[in-house]
Amino acid sequence: MKKITLNLTLTLLFSLFATQINATTHNHGEQQNMEAVGIQNPWVRSAPPNAPALGAFMEIYNNSDKGVKLLSASASGYKRLELHRSGRKNGMMTMVRQDFVLIPAHEKLVFKPGSWHIMMIKPEKVPKEGSSVAITLVFDNGLSKTVNAMVRKAGMMKDYGVKH
Amino acid sequence: MKKVLIAVVIVLVATALYFYNFDKNYRNLLGKQLKASYILHNPDKPLPKFSLLDHNRQLFDNERLKKGWSLLLFIYTHCPDVCPTELLDMSQLKNLMAKDKTAHMPTVVAITFDPLRDTPEVLKEYITHFDKDFIGVSGEQAQIDQLIKPFGAYYERVIYDKKGKPVTLKAGEKLPKGSLEKGYVINHTAWIYLINPKGEIFAGFPSPHKTSEMMQDIKLMMDSF
Repeated sequence: MKKITLNLTLTLLFSLFATQINATTHNHGEQQNMEAVGIQNPWVRSAPPNAPALGAFMEIYNNSDKGVKLLSASASGYKRLELHRSGRKNGMMTMVRQDFVLIPAHEKLVFKPGSWHIMMIKPEKVPKEGSSVAITLVFDNGLSKTVNAMVRKAGMMKDYGVKH
Repeated sequence: MKKVLIAVVIVLVATALYFYNFDKNYRNLLGKQLKASYILHNPDKPLPKFSLLDHNRQLFDNERLKKGWSLLLFIYTHCPDVCPTELLDMSQLKNLMAKDKTAHMPTVVAITFDPLRDTPEVLKEYITHFDKDFIGVSGEQAQIDQLIKPFGAYYERVIYDKKGKPVTLKAGEKLPKGSLEKGYVINHTAWIYLINPKGEIFAGFPSPHKTSEMMQDIKLMMDSF
């Protein structure tokens, strides 16, 4: 009887411990995703060696209860970075410079070809496919984030790491 | 004699009507099968004469479009989004056609909207990055502005004033001083055109371009020509 009780106690303790580990892992994961602003899949479109401008793309998540504005982007080795949005007007493909980009509360904004993008103007040297570019983004809530954007061809979706 | 003349006229009119309807039916039938393009062919309106330069500074005129089928697009190299997408689509289309042994890839010709910045040398490095066989074309702005008209293509330049407000300049409008240094973007149509071996506009592909559908349409049009 004593043995059974001991076994039962051990099993119970183990289960509790396992549940605790799971809960911790889960919370940790949630904490990662629940940062006020999260950035995923940053990438730069590979371009010819003399390309005067490059396009950078990513997904920006706003996990907060308030809208967040992306105010600017910068990277060393470029004349300047601008926020742009491609669209259509009177049958033409247009590109309009944006003073800021609003990411509404609890929403994500996807920067992708043919839509929102960061225009990287006059690179000192066009980065090669497979290399990465550090891009710093500044938001209106005082947050600043640097992401490592992989240089690749369009149409190949992969996840790349985010550096905080 | 009169009767013979009337009979001849009737036969001629009937023959003309027959061929007119045959051509119309053929176009309708072909048009209905196309997935990604529209037939624009009008043999009564040939391309105006033009004289431009390819990326090796060789003459690029109407005769160069009569050497076979071509896929023609208008681009500018300061474009970070739409133009590189189109050129990448063309290189993917070429790979797709190489795998399909029944298809034959037309020559890709990319003519710049922006010869002020896109010289033949600039185009050579830029265009051949996407594929060594692609041809970049530059030349006089006035000639390019004339050439794009029968395609239904158009563009406008956008510069930003001191306050950061966008100012739109129509094609042909003079750029203010310092625009080249400050930079400008170009809003433009983004169709890709199929040119037949007579050097005539045959069909147009609006964006976005799905390469597998483009290949099917091109095969269909080349086979029925």
